[in-house]
Amino acid sequence: MDVLILASESCDPATEIICAPDNVIELFEFTESLFSIGPLNFTKTVVLTFLAMFIVLALLYMGFRKRSVVPSKFGVAMESVVSFVRDDVAKGTIGPEGPRYAPYLLSIFMFILVANLFELTPGINFPLTSRMAIPLMLAVFTWLIFVIVGFSKNGLHYLFDIVWPKSVPLALRWLVGLIELVSVFVLRPITLAVRLFANLVAGHLMLTLLLGSGWIFFAAVGDIGARSIIVLPWFLFGLGIFVFEFVVAVLQAYIFTLLSAVYIQTSVHPEH
Amino acid sequence: MEEIKGAIALIGYGLAAIGPGIGIGIVVGNAIQAMARQPEAAGMARTTMFLGIAFTEALALIGFVLFFIA
Repeated sequence: MDVLILASESCDPATEIICAPDNVIELFEFTESLFSIGPLNFTKTVVLTFLAMFIVLALLYMGFRKRSVVPSKFGVAMESVVSFVRDDVAKGTIGPEGPRYAPYLLSIFMFILVANLFELTPGINFPLTSRMAIPLMLAVFTWLIFVIVGFSKNGLHYLFDIVWPKSVPLALRWLVGLIELVSVFVLRPITLAVRLFANLVAGHLMLTLLLGSGWIFFAAVGDIGARSIIVLPWFLFGLGIFVFEFVVAVLQAYIFTLLSAVYIQTSVHPEH
Repeated sequence: MEEIKGAIALIGYGLAAIGPGIGIGIVVGNAIQAMARQPEAAGMARTTMFLGIAFTEALALIGFVLFFIA
């Protein structure tokens, strides 16, 4: 019961939104730095980024540490992840040249997956990808790769085919070319980043609002009365959202990887 | 005309969600039809379905972000 009282103390009735949980504001403010080494400030986001990196490295190291004829159960699981990204995503969308891009796609998939699952990790409960900087940076990497690959494989024809598409009737060609130019070089990275960002922000807010307000309702209901009949399903619904958010976290990592592969594919074979 | 008060961005987000809602319904419905008709091509249909969902969903998500920016 002490915990419940503590939860109710953290809310201030004077504010407009009664008892807004702290987590809601957390997404839209710059958090203060936890510690700093020289000129580098380490905020929660930076610490979690490094944590995600080490988790990915540790997972891959543990999975492929020993090469044996019969791999361990964990090794089999990691192998299935790697072969899924290499065969299904890279070879499936890019074609025979896919394995060249598989290392990038695998690292981006693993990093986003771990970063998304921080949302559901007890004790952290903070999706790393709900900070715009991180999905935007990943999208910029993908953008750089598909632009550089496009120009190095096709030369200036890459740009020319986008601006002047041969398959479109002549009257509309300039308009389609203009739309394609904006869509390929501006909208692609922005939507790639915003899709990941917005999904995770929405999920985090939904979890926070359902569980946080459910928790505060619990605290506000003094005695176990009629109101707790409403509160308990509300809280349980919030817990049910956990499963849904797990699916969203995995699916968004997959979609980011898949779209990166599709964008690289359009640069490798621009005529499609 | 009197000044409109309240969270107008909420209405904007609601409007932005209509189109993608219909769109995702069409995409998933047709993907299920394709999978039912040709179960051997289910893998390809699923991948393409996720791609279609991702492209359609982007509009709603842009509305969602604009809700916070506005």
